[in-house]
Amino acid sequence: MTSLFWIQCGGCGGDTMSFLNADCPDLTELFATLDIQLLWHPSLSTLPAAAQNELIESLVQGEQPLDILVVEGSIIRGPASTGMFDTRRGHPKKDLVAALAAQARHVVAAGTCAAFGGFGSDGDAESTGLQFLKKEPGGLLGQGFRAASGMPVINLAGCPCHPDVMAGTLAALAGGVPLELDEFNRPLDWFGMTVHQGCTRNEYHEYRVEEWEFAQRGCLFFHMGCHGPLADGPCNKLLWNGRSSKTRAGVPCFGCTSPDFPTSYPFFETRNIEGVPIELPKGISRAHYLVYKGMAAAAAPERLKKRETKI
Amino acid sequence: MARRVVRDIPLNRVEGDLEIRVELEDNRIVDAWSSGTMFRGFENLLVGRGALDGLVVTPRVCGICSTTHLMAAAQALDRIAAVAIPDNAVRLRNLALMTEHCQSDVRQSVLMFLPDFTAETYQAHALYAEAVQRYAPLQGERCIDVVRQTKTLLEIIAILGGQWPHSSFMVPGGVTYAPPVTALNQCRHILTHYRQWYEQRVLGCTLERWQAVQSAAGLDAWLAESAGHRDSDTGFLLRFAREAGLQGLGQGHGNFISYGSLNLPNDSAVAGAQQQLIAAGFVGKDGRTQPFDQALVAEHVAASWYADYPGGRHPFDGETVPQATGAEGRKYSWGKAPRYQEQPAETGPLAERIVGGDPLFCDLLRRDGADLVLRQLARLTRQAALLPAMATWLDEMIARHDQPYYAAVPPLRDGRGYGLVQAARGALGHWVEIAAGKIVRYQIITPTAWNGSPRDGAGVRGPWEQALLGTAIQDIDNPVEAGHVVRSFDPCLVCTVHVVGADRTPWRC
Repeated sequence: MTSLFWIQCGGCGGDTMSFLNADCPDLTELFATLDIQLLWHPSLSTLPAAAQNELIESLVQGEQPLDILVVEGSIIRGPASTGMFDTRRGHPKKDLVAALAAQARHVVAAGTCAAFGGFGSDGDAESTGLQFLKKEPGGLLGQGFRAASGMPVINLAGCPCHPDVMAGTLAALAGGVPLELDEFNRPLDWFGMTVHQGCTRNEYHEYRVEEWEFAQRGCLFFHMGCHGPLADGPCNKLLWNGRSSKTRAGVPCFGCTSPDFPTSYPFFETRNIEGVPIELPKGISRAHYLVYKGMAAAAAPERLKKRETKI
Repeated sequence: MARRVVRDIPLNRVEGDLEIRVELEDNRIVDAWSSGTMFRGFENLLVGRGALDGLVVTPRVCGICSTTHLMAAAQALDRIAAVAIPDNAVRLRNLALMTEHCQSDVRQSVLMFLPDFTAETYQAHALYAEAVQRYAPLQGERCIDVVRQTKTLLEIIAILGGQWPHSSFMVPGGVTYAPPVTALNQCRHILTHYRQWYEQRVLGCTLERWQAVQSAAGLDAWLAESAGHRDSDTGFLLRFAREAGLQGLGQGHGNFISYGSLNLPNDSAVAGAQQQLIAAGFVGKDGRTQPFDQALVAEHVAASWYADYPGGRHPFDGETVPQATGAEGRKYSWGKAPRYQEQPAETGPLAERIVGGDPLFCDLLRRDGADLVLRQLARLTRQAALLPAMATWLDEMIARHDQPYYAAVPPLRDGRGYGLVQAARGALGHWVEIAAGKIVRYQIITPTAWNGSPRDGAGVRGPWEQALLGTAIQDIDNPVEAGHVVRSFDPCLVCTVHVVGADRTPWRC
């Protein structure tokens, strides 16, 4: 039996809604087959108010063992670090999250807001992630925090978090399978690839056949603001709802798995110098890239220039 | 002597954070205060951002109705661009929005509302064992079924727009993707499968049979007609509510508002009043339907944790300066108080039916009042009217798949516009102002802002504060009856917290 407590803070509920789309196992099968005891979930549980308070007290005191704490939404610290912009029974929720994390065997950040602060981290809410504020280690719990398991907070980035990533992480934790993490504590199994990998527009990207307008077939990286070649995530490998992805449907990747999401630049534009994006695909040298893209554009086959290749 | 106590009730199985303070006299609610307990400030996030950025940011305000926010944001930009979007784009947008409504209505009913019938309060109830077997969280047979079927339905939005939740496939001028006919056929199969399931398990009859229920007496006859009707989620809701004596409970002010929704394509077999499938209007206590005019919407802050201003303000002129201290006892929520012609109004599936003059719901309103059962019945059965139109629009897209989905628009520089839609929970409006290609003002009033409103400048309660009055509570440690009343409005609190822009102008969802 693995106990799990899910708490929502400064978020939109989207990671829960996304998790409800988990497929094979679906949410109900997952908890049953992994023998996870869901102590509490804000959207699903029926525990009466008085019993809720007793449960939380018992968790904080360490009387009720807590194997997995899942936190959804950013940690709101405003105004003036008091946390009173997000309260439970008149007390800042951030303090409750810290108290629960201190007792948990594993702590999981569901989504970019819980991991890195996300929306609200530049604002009055003074939001932060659990162990990072954007790219900077620290956050609510501090860089040195380790859960009882010895692991830092496991950051399941994404806005929202992909349901297979959540389900796969819970399965690994419940089954004692080690998860290797990247520099931002995101599991490499899902964040050791870019959103670009698997995008159906790849060939258009390869030959620099670029779009300036919506509802076309070409690449969205050069002008339309797509972060696919920069963003770490499994969107085009796992697909969403088992069917598609934003880039496949003509929506640029906004880099929502990145610690600094949302950046302050307009989402639907690519920042560029002389027509070349300022932010290039991960790890590439600018000089090589310019030569490569110049040659690639010259070599582009007619079927791509005419947008004959379906996506 | 009457015993008066004040209790705070934290309420879950709503989206977000809600605490209700109630005053009880002999275990009956005599006053209520609704408090949104979270504030998400987005300073510098939309204000100063690119003109199109609302299409990415606002879906993130609400994980349960992100497509609806996208629709409102896109329509506001369409209006600024003064562009008429192609028929296929209208169809695709509508289809995605209706898909979101269908899953939301069923998930809210079965995963959030009906589990209250498994509370220990009802242990002695004749239908208690059946309620537990059906609606126990994550284990009830109906809960498991609904989790499976709704996620399948949502594949339609992923096929058309990339993913659910949180995509941004609607843009000024149309949509970002012209789906191939094979993809549309996949959507058609998913929709047909879902409709069959909805008919069999949620309604217990065909859509046509349900649409033939036109009066309160007709509903009684429908329930008596067959075991299949009684065994459906709709049938169980009615049976349990009658057995538990829930009729008449949770009546609000008796004012209803709908912004209107689902614009009709120019060329379509789907018909509706005012070129929309869902009619706009306001129905006051006198029962008369008035045309809706967005200029008559205003927000008050007398009971909200913001610096005071006199009376109400239209969203194009609003201001929000958070002020969490002072005026203790008078200010108690991060939500503001929207008013239409200075009156509170409830919104949602029931309001849509009343504004649209639906014979069944108008008759039930006359018989039972706008009670919690009527509100929930309206939600659970709304899609009986949506699913046929969804199929028609899909068929029209399949037949006209080579026609455009997007009309190019030049970069947006200056202007202001609004997008008004019906979300699953009711009236949603975005008010946007753009100058020199940047957002200078962005304001959102959500359905839960209407329904969960605190008091206004005149001290008038919000709809569910009013609806709680008179409710008898059996067990104050588990006030399930108050839960019924508030959950019948389908609260979405993540949506209702204010978010403040750099110039201290409010927007919220």
